[in-house]
Amino acid sequence: MTYSSFFYSEILAIFRRKQDAVNALVFFLLVITLFPLGVSPSKEFLQPAAGGIIWCAVALAVLMSVEGMFKEDYNDGSLEQLVVSGLYLPVLVLLKLAVHWFAIMLPLLVLTPILSQMLFINWEILWVLILTLILGSPALFLIGTIGAALTVSLRRGAVLMLLIILPFYLPVIIFSTGAIAAAQVGQPYNGQLAILGAISLMTLTLSPIMAAVSIKASVN
Amino acid sequence: MISADLGKPLHSNLDLSISGLVIERSERILCDNFSCVVKAGEVARIMGENGAGKSTLLKVIAGILQPLEGQIFFSGEDISYHRDMLHRELLYLGHHAGIKAVFSVAENLNWYCPNQTSDAIELALDVVGLAGYSDTPAHQLSAGQQRRIALARLWLTDKKVWLLDEPFTALDVKGVAVLEAKIKQHTDAGGLVILTTHQALDDSLSVKEIKLV
Repeated sequence: MTYSSFFYSEILAIFRRKQDAVNALVFFLLVITLFPLGVSPSKEFLQPAAGGIIWCAVALAVLMSVEGMFKEDYNDGSLEQLVVSGLYLPVLVLLKLAVHWFAIMLPLLVLTPILSQMLFINWEILWVLILTLILGSPALFLIGTIGAALTVSLRRGAVLMLLIILPFYLPVIIFSTGAIAAAQVGQPYNGQLAILGAISLMTLTLSPIMAAVSIKASVN
Repeated sequence: MISADLGKPLHSNLDLSISGLVIERSERILCDNFSCVVKAGEVARIMGENGAGKSTLLKVIAGILQPLEGQIFFSGEDISYHRDMLHRELLYLGHHAGIKAVFSVAENLNWYCPNQTSDAIELALDVVGLAGYSDTPAHQLSAGQQRRIALARLWLTDKKVWLLDEPFTALDVKGVAVLEAKIKQHTDAGGLVILTTHQALDDSLSVKEIKLV
């Protein structure tokens, strides 16, 4: 096994199991549709709430897709094979995450402009929203992967993982909705974007290593 | 003198020695002060009843589990904490052999052995009795056939240390014979094999039996 053959196999695996990505996207779509239908379809409610609605839906959809990231590998024994492959496990985790990020976030970014019309987000704000998604979503994946690696060996790990990981998503959600809210009232939002980028960079350095340690503990 | 050196197999000094290993599993001591040495050219068979800890011992050697105490040396180097040196030469096949159900047979092997040509993979599949299955998705195959995909890696690898957990399970008589011949060829070439099995092995293999108590 080499890094490139692993990377290629991950792309192939996610392509073969595209229903996982599709499920996450449909979930994202449904959560967003709940708000106009469930609370109020008026512009007065939706426009200020739009950033929060989209970001909560993104966080849940990402969590849903990341949760099962190692499940299949754990069940068929390939996770053990990764541990004994002699390759550096954090790099493998990072490669796997990169593939998942592209598979979920690219279609999600394509959907966002359509959904933002539904929530009365105008074009200037849409760019801020997309920027927050690009800068903030890596952190969601990176934090989530630690939880996925920790709970992979548990039979009902999904709920536990949700409870462990969601609190760590709060800063990302707060700063990204903060950036959107600031843009909506015409204030500068560079600060919030910078912090989002910083959170993503910090998790990029910590999370692959922590996930690798968790994987080693889980394959026991 | 130089010619004598050239005649030696490349990894003639390969050996794996375990000393004072203590393994705990679910608060039960499985191995207490277990020691053994396996040298290049040897097949070591771990003997023990069900639940004696044979698979666990293999996992500990592979570095998947951590022992409570004890040291493991590979070619004289202490690898008790970092198995990197061993991993470079290791092929481990566990109970679940890491065959992805969504991949075809050839894709599974391409993933593990990316440096092999498709001809070499076809040849290996032919030997393990999976000729013509290379494009079949693994989930459509039987348990024995999936096992054979994993075993085909033995024909495609140049790793010297093989840890095989019940390699003969779900294989038919002919498959067992082919695998035994491969193990013999590997040890003759200076490889090292540690395996667990409940099956009686062929006499042509010089098997060193290691008892777990």
